[in-house]
Amino acid sequence: MGIYTPLGCSYLCKTLGTAMEPVISCEHLTHYYGRRKIYEDLNFEIAPGHIVGLLGKNGTGKTTTINILMGYLTPTSGSCRIFGEESHCISPITRERIALLLEGHVQYSYMTISQIEKFYSSFYPKWNREAYYSLMDKLKVAPGQKISRMSNGQRSQVSLGLILAQNADLLVLDDFSLGLDPGYRRLFCEYLRDYVKARGKTVFLTSHIIQDLEKLVDEVIIMDYGSILVQESAASLMGRFPGLTLEDIFIELTGKY
Amino acid sequence: MVKMILYKEWLKTKGFLFGALGALALLLFYCLLSVIKTAQINGIETLWELVLEHNQVLVETLKYFPLALGALLAVTQYLPEISRKRLKLTLHLPCSQNKTVFVMYGYGLIVLTAFFALISIVIYAVLNHYLAAELVNRVFATVAVWYLAGYAAYLSGCAICIEPTWRMRAVLMLMTAALLLLLFISGTPEAYNRILPGLFIYVLCGQLLIFHSIKRFKEGLQD
Repeated sequence: MGIYTPLGCSYLCKTLGTAMEPVISCEHLTHYYGRRKIYEDLNFEIAPGHIVGLLGKNGTGKTTTINILMGYLTPTSGSCRIFGEESHCISPITRERIALLLEGHVQYSYMTISQIEKFYSSFYPKWNREAYYSLMDKLKVAPGQKISRMSNGQRSQVSLGLILAQNADLLVLDDFSLGLDPGYRRLFCEYLRDYVKARGKTVFLTSHIIQDLEKLVDEVIIMDYGSILVQESAASLMGRFPGLTLEDIFIELTGKY
Repeated sequence: MVKMILYKEWLKTKGFLFGALGALALLLFYCLLSVIKTAQINGIETLWELVLEHNQVLVETLKYFPLALGALLAVTQYLPEISRKRLKLTLHLPCSQNKTVFVMYGYGLIVLTAFFALISIVIYAVLNHYLAAELVNRVFATVAVWYLAGYAAYLSGCAICIEPTWRMRAVLMLMTAALLLLLFISGTPEAYNRILPGLFIYVLCGQLLIFHSIKRFKEGLQD
């Protein structure tokens, strides 16, 4: 059995007032698909400027949580708030502050590299064109190349480039490491950490590849079937299991497949 | 933002639209050439006789074109959206979700209207040359029902594509099939004249089905 350590930022929020209002807060979240329980009474908060990793085996409800957070799934009970707004009715102004990476790096694959940039840039006032095109230059792809004709890895990088160019306050990344080769994955994690810390962004991510998250995340939420096992700062968790990697700890807590 | 949503719809559909335009050109050419040939070989009175005595509308070749255009346009526009649930990206754009959806199907309605206007202009130009205004109106009263079928197929097609569960999709398909059957049940010219305004309003109410499907998609309903 695992350990549940409630953390969140409630105490800090109360101490510092609204300036530290959590970016994401989920209260008493319960979800069932038909009769199958995904989880019950899930509670967590994410403070501004933090990188939080939601980890768990397949089917523990990581994507379900993101779908609920983004308003694409109505939970059986409980509620989630993003920037203080109910997740099922996020206003356009708040959506502008959230960069969303869907599972599988889904994008408008019928567009070309330049068309998709032109499309998104008109929606986001803080759009950083250079960030996107510098990444595309590294990919050695022509602006007129269709995304559907690119490799999986290249498509993933286009999606990540769009996410970074959006310059959002909150990045929600569902299985961001999918399709990336180990070298690029590590490079992206390092880049993302520097980017987020330098700009005070908040990141909520899920990933199947845990080894890269050690140096990236500030906090981890480890889910098992039905509940949260651990919600703790990464440093504190690693400190409790000396000599083990985050991946080892994950296996230790959730059990081998 | 509206411009960019229209841009996205254009990128999705431009290939299909050029194809549809080519198919329409061939159909119109074949259809109107038959009319012209009949007039030239058998005389204009034969055309009058066909319309008056035999209840023909002379452009029957085009009968199912608006229907096919509406249905295929809906699929072309919304299949990429539901494939891998890309619609989530669209609904995440920082503008009103209702407005986004409205612009998307508004684009489709404008495209259909443009096609139907083009068909009408070409048919009118040819038929007006041979037939009296009353007879041309008689043809257009019938063609209007075909256009209505095109709009119905499009609006229902959008709702069916977005609908997240197969059970509800089946219900929507049955409703659409019933409506289309009603629209094609009689081939007699002007048979629908009395109920045409009512049918038009009923078809336009199909817009509500799209918002209903969007609501269900956002609730994350599954089979």
